[in-house]
Formats: sequence, structure tokens, C-alpha cells
Amino acid sequence: MKELEITQQQLQSTIVLHVVGAVDSNTAPELQEALLRATEAPTGGVELDLAKVSYMSSAGLRALLLAAKALQKRGERLTLVNVPPQIHNVLNLTGFTTFIDVKA
Amino acid sequence: MTEHVEIKLHNKLSELASANQTVTEFGRQHGLPDSILHDFNLALGEILTNIISYGYTDSGEHEITVRLSIEPGEMRVDVEDDGKPFNPLEAPEVDTTNPLEERAVGGLGVHLVRKLTDGLEYRRHEGKNLLVMKKHLR
Repeated sequence: MKELEITQQQLQSTIVLHVVGAVDSNTAPELQEALLRATEAPTGGVELDLAKVSYMSSAGLRALLLAAKALQKRGERLTLVNVPPQIHNVLNLTGFTTFIDVKA
Repeated sequence: MTEHVEIKLHNKLSELASANQTVTEFGRQHGLPDSILHDFNLALGEILTNIISYGYTDSGEHEITVRLSIEPGEMRVDVEDDGKPFNPLEAPEVDTTNPLEERAVGGLGVHLVRKLTDGLEYRRHEGKNLLVMKKHLR
């Protein structure tokens, strides 16, 4: 079974998660768990680095949505960095770019 | 060069990776761009996820047949499963303009299938769901 590789980094008050692999409905629970754990920090934002993510299914989007909702409760937004163009397109098609910050 | 390929998958989410790999290999053999393969893989993954997660009322093993083919100007995938009837063409539209507080977590899979493909056909035949997805090769 293919799994995701998720590395966590603390940059000042921001938690950065670097993900490697394909986020499908089989692997999305790993991303969701890591993201939600990161949102439990009392302050600071959460950044997700997608440079090495080939694919983000609706199960992955669900994980992003739940993390964005959790962060909103303490006035923060989820930020995605190094987003590949195809994943950016998926975020646009689903309207996710209105509540998630995307840096190319 | 193969003009079509057929694979049989079991109803387990761990099979998604091998479906993805088959599409990618088939597409590259035919010189298709990665952007088309990405969209096709995503759409197929969403359909397979729905079948595997919600299609069966028992916990037994089932077989899902996936056929990939290249036709003039388009790539096509036929998905056949013996799960309960499910017509993705009739699934309700999700509102993608709702603010974050009102966004629901469901329905995005079928929404992406509609947006990322250029043609969808569904029929129920002899106790099976048959779904055809097509994508233009531009």
C-alpha cells in the first residue's frame, strides 16, 4: 500500500507540513490527521507544502476543508504553498480558493 | 501499441494506486499530456471511491472492471461494477460558492468528475452499473 510521507516543520509561529505522494481516498486520512493535529496548536497558522503532491482527490479536499474550518475558529487561514497547476485548477473548480490562501 | 487495456480491481481503496498507475502507463504509451492524465486519474479515482465506499451492501469481495481506450480525438474509460444502482449524472450539484462556515464535506467527488471530463454516460444493465467517461484530447 502506498502511503504519504508527511514532514512537520515549525517556522516561528507557523507549522509547515511537507507532503510527498498522491492524496487519494486511501491516503487522505493520513493527511487529515496530520492537518487537524497541526490546527490544535493554540496560535499560529498552518502551511501545507504541496510541491511533491501529484494528485489531490475530493477526500484530500475534505481534509483541507476540515482544517480550514478548525483554523477559522481562531481567526487563522490555511495556506497552501508550491501548489502544482493541476491541483490549483481543482481548488478553483471547487471554490476552495475563496477560503484557503494559495501561493504558487 | 495497445489501443485498449482492461483491468479488474477488487473493492478495496488500496486498489486506487494501481488504477492510477495503469492510466498513467497507458496514457504515456499514447503520448498523452500529463495534464489530461491527471484529470482522468482524478475522475476515475472519484468514481472508484464511490463504488468501493458506498456501492455494496455486503462486506464480500467484488470485482470492478475498468477499460481504457483511445478513440480518435478522445480518451475513454468504461467502469463496470455490480454494486447497487448509482447514477452519478443524477447526483445533486454542490454549491461551491458557499462561505467556509456553510461548506459541506460531501458531494465534491462527483462535482470534480463532471468538471474534469467532457462526456459522461450511465446505464444500468443486467444488475450492473456501467459508466463511461470521455475526455477530449486537445
